[in-house]
Amino acid sequence: MSLAVRNQIDVTVSLAGDAIAAVEILPRVRPPLGRLFAGQPAASLLNVLPRIFSLCAAAHQVAFLSAIEAARGETISLATRQHRIVMVVAERLAELLRGLFVGHCALDTTSAAAIRALMEGVSALLSSAEPSCGQVRREVTARVAIALAALGITNEDGAPALGNPLALSVAALEEDALNPTPMQQSFLSVADDRDVIERLVDDAGFCRCPHLEGRVPETGAWARQMMRDQLTLGRSGPAERLKARIAEIVRLHAWLGPGAHVETAEDGIIESYRLGPGRGAAAVECARGRLYHAVELDRQGQMSRFQFLAPTEWNFHARGPLVRGLQGAVLAAKPQAQGAVRAMVGSFDPCVGFTLNFREIGDA
Amino acid sequence: MCLSVPAEVTKILADDLAIVSIDGISKEISIALIDDLAVGDYVLVHVGYALARIDPAEAKRTLQLLHELGSVGHELRS
Repeated sequence: MSLAVRNQIDVTVSLAGDAIAAVEILPRVRPPLGRLFAGQPAASLLNVLPRIFSLCAAAHQVAFLSAIEAARGETISLATRQHRIVMVVAERLAELLRGLFVGHCALDTTSAAAIRALMEGVSALLSSAEPSCGQVRREVTARVAIALAALGITNEDGAPALGNPLALSVAALEEDALNPTPMQQSFLSVADDRDVIERLVDDAGFCRCPHLEGRVPETGAWARQMMRDQLTLGRSGPAERLKARIAEIVRLHAWLGPGAHVETAEDGIIESYRLGPGRGAAAVECARGRLYHAVELDRQGQMSRFQFLAPTEWNFHARGPLVRGLQGAVLAAKPQAQGAVRAMVGSFDPCVGFTLNFREIGDA
Repeated sequence: MCLSVPAEVTKILADDLAIVSIDGISKEISIALIDDLAVGDYVLVHVGYALARIDPAEAKRTLQLLHELGSVGHELRS
């Protein structure tokens, strides 16, 4: 029984004077699900996923189901599609709001109560037979509104009320000691799905170190916002990512409330791809970015191959957006510098566990 | 790919904190996101926060699964 596998990312920043000379990332070890799932009946594995991925259980289950259906050549009804989109959106809302609380308002008891109530509501929605219908969806919508108010987000544009902890966090991050310059950005989108899946299926090492012809795009709330606004050049500091998360919460809440219609859902939120007889894949846009599953079933319907690719593998890639955003940055105010770098790392993913180490390497 | 780990609550502290036992190892965590926890309850823990209450049988099954995956160790140290 091995207890030695790592479930945390280690980031080491090398400083040459006031500048970041290098960033090294030691990734988490991926759980060997392919080995665990091999030979198991596909249907029996659906309930295993929430035990492993409790933070984004719905996204993993929807990706898994969608990939299995694609492998079998099955189609789903519009109502089923709507239920699944609502599940993914509700889970994304809860995760984004929980991330705001944990990262910026953890000492506020009113916010804690509101997030608790929201998480309970989302849990009830996810176990509901018809999550997009009726009372359970309205209840979650109401609880999101209460959580937003508790966090001080009462404006339609998502700007936190002046003086509250979240507004102070945004202001502090905007005056950060770390000052990344605007640069050309690259984002992972539904248009990349076919390339990603092809590599995921063909290359066993791809899921640990993904790239698209050398490109390592960013994924997550800020990437989604930039793609919606059709922007590729931008300042990519922690304040921008925090504001993007808040804006997305407001936008998803506005979608969930009036009816959560499929036709007005965000593009590419759930996509599935038939790769051949018994082979399928799916992509789901979850809180921290685009998640992929690929499956291969044998003639008895048992899993012969399973692969997944989490958003974190892109954002925390050794040549990925976090490294690009930090490398070469000049730390304007040394006493706050380590906190600024920590905020930058945390801004990519509100849930990821990481350690941050600094070392001085002298003038390079 | 964020894994959470089952833990048994062994002591409730002030300020929404608690001591939990994760596979026999004690750790202080926040319980701000769970209502009315008591000693003996089982929770899922991720990066220092209890995220959900689970029943003991589910905790045992999950821990067994994580052992199979060999993924518990680092959460204990984080």
